[in-house]
Amino acid sequence: MQLPESQVAVLEAANADEATPVDALAAATDLPPETVTGAAFELEEQGLVAVTERVDETISLTDEGRTYVGDGLPEVRLYEAALEAGADADPAPMGQVIGSSGLEGAAVDIALSNYARKGYGSIDSGEITADPDADPAADPEANALESLAGEGTLDESNVLDQLERRGLAEVAESTVREVELTEQGVTELMAGVETAETVGQVTPELLTSGEWEDVKFAEYNVEADAETVEGGCVHVLREMSERVKDVLVGMGFEEMDGPHADADFWINDCLFMPQDHPARTHWDRFALEQPTHIDDLPEGLVERVERAHREGVGEDGEGYHSPWDEDFARALALRGHTTSLSTRYLSGTEIGEIEPPARFFSVEKAYRNDTLDATHLLEFYQIEGWVMAEDLSVRDLMGTFEEFYAQFGIEDIQFKPHYNPYTEPSFELFGTHPTTGELIEIGNSGIFREEMLEPLGVDCDVMAWGLALERLAMLATGAEDIRDLHGTLADLEFLRNAEVTY
Amino acid sequence: MPTVDIDPDELRELTGREEKSDEELQADLFALGLEFEGWTEDDEFELEFAPDRLDRLSVEGVARSMRYQYGDARGVHVPSTNAADWTIEVEGSVPDERPYVTGAVIRDVDLDEDGLDSLIQLQEKLHATMGRKRAKGAIGIHDLTMLKGSPATEGNPTIQYVGVEPDEDRFVPLDSDAELTPAEVLEEHQTGREYADLVSEYERYPAIYDDIGLFSFPPVINGRRTEVSTDSRDLFVEMTGTDQWTIDKMLNIVCYALAARGATLEDVRVEYPDSELVRPDLSTKTKRVAHDRIETLLGIDLDPDEVIDLAERSGLDATRSEDEATGDDESSITPLEDRDGLEERDGPVGSDESKAEDVSTGDLVYEVTIPPYRVDVLHPLDVIDDLGRAYGFNDLEPRYPEVGTVGGRHERSRLERAARTQLVGLGFEDMLNFHMIDEGQNYERLDVEPGTDAYGAGEPATIKEPYSEDYTMLRTWCLPSLLQVLENNTHRAYPQHLSEVGFAAELDETENTGVGEGRHIGAVLASHDSGYEDAKARLQALARDFNVELETPATEHPTFIPGRAANVVIDGEVVGVVGEIHPKVLVEHDLEVPVAAFEFDLEALR
Repeated sequence: MQLPESQVAVLEAANADEATPVDALAAATDLPPETVTGAAFELEEQGLVAVTERVDETISLTDEGRTYVGDGLPEVRLYEAALEAGADADPAPMGQVIGSSGLEGAAVDIALSNYARKGYGSIDSGEITADPDADPAADPEANALESLAGEGTLDESNVLDQLERRGLAEVAESTVREVELTEQGVTELMAGVETAETVGQVTPELLTSGEWEDVKFAEYNVEADAETVEGGCVHVLREMSERVKDVLVGMGFEEMDGPHADADFWINDCLFMPQDHPARTHWDRFALEQPTHIDDLPEGLVERVERAHREGVGEDGEGYHSPWDEDFARALALRGHTTSLSTRYLSGTEIGEIEPPARFFSVEKAYRNDTLDATHLLEFYQIEGWVMAEDLSVRDLMGTFEEFYAQFGIEDIQFKPHYNPYTEPSFELFGTHPTTGELIEIGNSGIFREEMLEPLGVDCDVMAWGLALERLAMLATGAEDIRDLHGTLADLEFLRNAEVTY
Repeated sequence: MPTVDIDPDELRELTGREEKSDEELQADLFALGLEFEGWTEDDEFELEFAPDRLDRLSVEGVARSMRYQYGDARGVHVPSTNAADWTIEVEGSVPDERPYVTGAVIRDVDLDEDGLDSLIQLQEKLHATMGRKRAKGAIGIHDLTMLKGSPATEGNPTIQYVGVEPDEDRFVPLDSDAELTPAEVLEEHQTGREYADLVSEYERYPAIYDDIGLFSFPPVINGRRTEVSTDSRDLFVEMTGTDQWTIDKMLNIVCYALAARGATLEDVRVEYPDSELVRPDLSTKTKRVAHDRIETLLGIDLDPDEVIDLAERSGLDATRSEDEATGDDESSITPLEDRDGLEERDGPVGSDESKAEDVSTGDLVYEVTIPPYRVDVLHPLDVIDDLGRAYGFNDLEPRYPEVGTVGGRHERSRLERAARTQLVGLGFEDMLNFHMIDEGQNYERLDVEPGTDAYGAGEPATIKEPYSEDYTMLRTWCLPSLLQVLENNTHRAYPQHLSEVGFAAELDETENTGVGEGRHIGAVLASHDSGYEDAKARLQALARDFNVELETPATEHPTFIPGRAANVVIDGEVVGVVGEIHPKVLVEHDLEVPVAAFEFDLEALR
């Protein structure tokens, strides 16, 4: 049979009678150990060798342990100095004995802490005695150190534990693989094994010389994991936003853009939100300290909006019984919804008068002074869309939103009649969660009120809806905590592992 | 959204539909716009409601709506009231800030524990919504037998709505044993402290007196003397506020709820110094609604009889207008109908002027009568919404509007996407950071002084009374956010090449809003061997991709190492900065690897 060169070498070096460690094979074949291991596994797959693994313990001395092999254990040195001072007969003064032992620094403490434990004598009130029967030559720890320094092996495991505790020896575990020829391997060897000409890399030389026609390419382990590559990637929430934009553009919607910090006039007053509406209190909005007010607002529009708030519109319309203050309308805040873009566009101040039919959208940030938790952030992306046409009906609204949500796998939309100050009729949209089957709220919608449209100068119908992008994204990515995605607490690992959305 | 607690057993009793299961009730409530949120501790439904139908803030109102929904009640119902006995006299001393009062007497109430709980809940919910936490309207309900009014005129008992000095008089407030002055109530009483802000600026405090003395300190707290219990049989309801219409409507809702429990309503005279009112005002309103508009808005064809039927099932009355074909401009304000004529009118109003089927309904207009408990009907549209709910919006067949429009992206959004695509191609991980930040993160931690020339050091747009000290301003650049992400991810694998195409803002007087808002491209390269050249190389790649001319003349910037920082100059204009982040900034962010970075205005790539 034909085998790659390294496998032939390993096969020939291996023995049928006893297992040979990889290191020994590497030495015999003059190949790197990892090549031998790779070849051995390849051969094992073909049934030619058996590879076994065992874990070897290697005991080695620490620096401290090696020092004691030469100098002797500190407690032994102390004992010898004590004997010289005659402490086997009468207690000798500690200081004198330590001085003559030559022990210094930490070694003194080590000597003292082991001296009595190992029965060399006792230490009491600054005096030291030495047990005349103690035999330093039989000290098991000293002998074990000697033995480790010499043969590198040790018989008694309880002494090893003691040495490890004292930090004199270390035990390291290593995996040793051994290779043994199988019967089939022997048979093949006897039948004759030839070296196949294999090539690792396709080279320019190989190609230009035409040599590639005669070579065999070394086989790789194509199943093995390769190294990890961290490429660039678009943020999951951005991907979701792009997908939403694709869907809306496909449905004929044009994108809006506008200020994040804006006058309450555009954010709320133009939406026919009464100024004493709870959502307009300072707890819910991010009012700006600096700058404080917008200077330029379209003059006629301000008057028309105020009149709508105070008197309503139409022949028997009524206004709100709420205060209306132009200063409040001019006050700046971070927009609490992106509907401020819609009011700006509808008013004609952004891209001129918009003639029906028209469809507009934005997927932009809104700011809400909410409590931070797993599903709420102070900043979120709002999907906002509206359709302007003559004689729009509730059915058109339903048809449009069914089409939109169907693109995200959300079918069977239910429309719950709802109340918004700026739309009538209004609906909360509910849909079935694509995986859990739960009925969940997925948006808010309605037909803009005449009290909102008339001051803006719009004399046809406009239907609109909005929802949080994060809501869609959490459904699509399975993220359970929005904080993993959005903001400076983002976990790079989570983002790197996030599934691509398309 | 606000919630209201409703006992399902009471609901079954008041609707007369004992056979309805809890689940059926929940489904019927959902159709009314009341979403079941869960059970309360007292085994009641917790229902989330939208704050338009404030007449449904108690079980009585919800039951009324359900009876209409089931077809068990039709049309407008107005309870009768007996002639006034009591008078509220409004004195000149009443604080200017809270000049209005209204009231009603309720007789023969039979309040069990449930009924009393329901009344208290209704009061609380009305305070929270229409009453704007009592600022706009506050309700006081008293046991009438505890009031003593001396006959001011012709033997009628009278109470006085007045203004008092903060320490002028004393009374025992609810939940207290001590006689306190109004000023002391604001200091010492729990409810007083809660609502102190509402009146603490007033020179004189609102107070209501009978012969015995001060018994109510609106909008803060009632006196203990007139406290209502299950033994109370006759009630005096007073409301004060900043708007007469608002408190009158709140009163109507309370009156309807008590009348639904079998009580009798009795008028109260309100005598202002220069005018007199009789309350409750249970007069109806009228809206003129065009048939054509109903059909176009709902997207369906309807017979006039069907419209009238839908109106009655919504608790409204509709009649064809006399001048339907002429379309003349007769005054839109229909005179209020005589109250006597409206009493106990339960049945449908006949529409016997039947038209041939093929006659056009193009000019047909209905006069729709709105009952006095409705506070949400501002415009004919609101009537059409009611008709739609009665028809069943979910029974409408959705259709895709046959309207052709051309879609497209905003140029800025296309540029952002293109820049992001190139950055990702260069190996950057795209980040999405908050636009709000605090001064410490935005400036100090990057060693930048606000208001200096350094890129990123512009004056901030700041947030008033920030909720969190971490979010006090809009960020002026992206690098602070990116460095924070690096700081929070030191346990993750390097290299960390992060970029953001993100929002940044600073004060700019030339802008309409006073805030200059822009998009920046920010990027950081963090790894054991990141250097200036790595940042510059990627900057060059971007410049090449967008066909702009890049120069990087040396500059000084406190965030970067001196001698390793340059201005980003694109097509001759300084638009950003590139360099190696200074070790003091790295150490400040607990980073143990070098970071090269750049940031510049996205607009420069156009």
